[in-house]
Amino acid sequence: MDADPVAADVTDERPIGVAIVDDHPVVIDGVRAWLASEPRLRVLATGDDPDVVLRAAPEAEVVLLDLRLHGRMMFDKLAELSAAGRRVVVYSEHSDPDTMLAALDAGAVAFLAKHEGREHCVATVLAAASNRPYVPPALAGAMVGDPRPDRPTLSDKEREALLLWFQSMSKASVARRMRISEHTVKQYVDRARIKYTRAGRPAATKAALLARAIEDGLVRPEEIGIYRSQAATDRPTP
Amino acid sequence: MTTDLGPRAPAGPTHRLAPIPAPGGPAAPGAVGAATAVATASDRAARIAALTIALAWHLAIDLPALPGAGSSPAASAVVAAAWLVTAAVGVVAGVRLLRGGLPPARRLVAVLLVVDAAVFAAVGGGHLFAGANWAWGGLVWFFLLVLWRRPVGWLLAVLGAHASIALAAVLASGATAPADLARYAMYVYGVSSLPVAVFVGGAAIAALARDRAGTAAATLAVEAERVAAERAQAERRARLSLVSGTAEEVLAALAAGDADPADPEVRRRCVLAAARLRRLIAESDDVPDPLLHELRAAADLAERNGLPIELVAVGVPPELPVEIRRRLADPLTAALTDARDRARLTVVAGPDEVVVSLVTPDHDGPDGSGPPDSAGDADGDGRVEHVHERDGEIRWTQTRWRRT
Repeated sequence: MDADPVAADVTDERPIGVAIVDDHPVVIDGVRAWLASEPRLRVLATGDDPDVVLRAAPEAEVVLLDLRLHGRMMFDKLAELSAAGRRVVVYSEHSDPDTMLAALDAGAVAFLAKHEGREHCVATVLAAASNRPYVPPALAGAMVGDPRPDRPTLSDKEREALLLWFQSMSKASVARRMRISEHTVKQYVDRARIKYTRAGRPAATKAALLARAIEDGLVRPEEIGIYRSQAATDRPTP
Repeated sequence: MTTDLGPRAPAGPTHRLAPIPAPGGPAAPGAVGAATAVATASDRAARIAALTIALAWHLAIDLPALPGAGSSPAASAVVAAAWLVTAAVGVVAGVRLLRGGLPPARRLVAVLLVVDAAVFAAVGGGHLFAGANWAWGGLVWFFLLVLWRRPVGWLLAVLGAHASIALAAVLASGATAPADLARYAMYVYGVSSLPVAVFVGGAAIAALARDRAGTAAATLAVEAERVAAERAQAERRARLSLVSGTAEEVLAALAAGDADPADPEVRRRCVLAAARLRRLIAESDDVPDPLLHELRAAADLAERNGLPIELVAVGVPPELPVEIRRRLADPLTAALTDARDRARLTVVAGPDEVVVSLVTPDHDGPDGSGPPDSAGDADGDGRVEHVHERDGEIRWTQTRWRRT
């Protein structure tokens, strides 16, 4: 698949700590098995209550959060964790576009549909740990079909890359189709995602994603309408 | 005879039946037509009644009065001519009304007021209050006819003009004694009240009929919507039971140990059942969209032939003409027929763009979807592009409509 091994920052010895919050033990076991295949990841704590899980493993760098716990949608908890700087990867069977975009707005670093499989799951968690975006196909579909009037303005290339990625689930095919390199496809997709850090309320995680994207040269501050560094704050951008 | 109001009066054929204003607020859009039909039917009866009254009055009361009218032979001739003109106005207005239109009010009112003045002048002082002055009571019914369905203010204004003409004639004949004026007032009141009552009553009955018909139609529309929703739900439920049936079978076989998870056939059944369930769960549209419906049907068919297929739709397609929908869906359904292993069908829709795509693993077989007409066809509703390509890894069919 197109799981990009976000290698640069995670080659050091210490594995990335992950916490899994889900109310179905079978899902926890499944995700744990997925992540176990990746030596750079280590599951530190699991459970069905985010507060309990994070008390048990406060050092967890990434939280995999099932959006629906015991019949309740966890948007408030998600916003609270994101505001506090927790990198939350939402994964849910609720993969309708509205829910995905709402999760991004609330500060989720990434959204993963439960059916999207191991490669996307591992890639998303690895990217999240280094404050880098990862856009699985379902999320790309939600972004390209975003009907909200205040949606971020995407360039034609960004839209096309998102659309083709959503359709084909193969960055190599998108690259051939757009006659650009796979790397450039990923850049377009990630840039679109970074533009979404300005949607919804500010959160520490959004600021971190944005800061990292600027640092990596993925976007220039002026490209997304930011004229001074917002790297260390989560002030709402003008 | 004057027709100087002509240019401002709308031409005949444009006097179609004006919609009666709905007093009960807006009705359901689909209900308006039915309500109008009911109101029209009920109004037609009122038109016939008004026409009958006017013509019967003119024949039974005004006509016998003619011989005694007129202070001189010339005046008698004027009165007789006026009677004929009035009868002609009645016929013109009557024909219009019975055909569902409205008479040209301004012109006919002008004619009637001229007749009014001529008759009052011709009958002379002696007969002003006599039966011979048929203009008193006879003309008001014709006012009613020519002003049919116009604002009631118009009728009151014309009746006011009628009363003024009468007053001028009364004063001109020197009948200024209190008894004369009282008699005048009695006449004005007597001849005006009944037509006004008929006019207002008729309009009210028509409005009521429309209101009631509107309510009935709205009720029917709601009922129809409910039935449609119930049918959609029943359909979905039926498919769910079918799908969960196959899923249960696989699960039961796995649980009982009859099926081996390592068996590719068992895995395939699992994949199929899961894909089917997922598609069903993804059907969130309450009002089934025709494009999605077509694609879903094609997906169901392909799946029945054993192809695990994923259908993901983002956004709501706008209302598209059948031709555009066909061009969007047909290349995909054709490509589905030679899909192998698995298929991913996606729809991304916005108000100005709809993109449908099918991605399947590439295989050595020939392309079954025919040559792509990627040139598209430009027409009034925008064009549909069709792209088909294979890159050794996947076969990719995409159709895209953009509003132009």
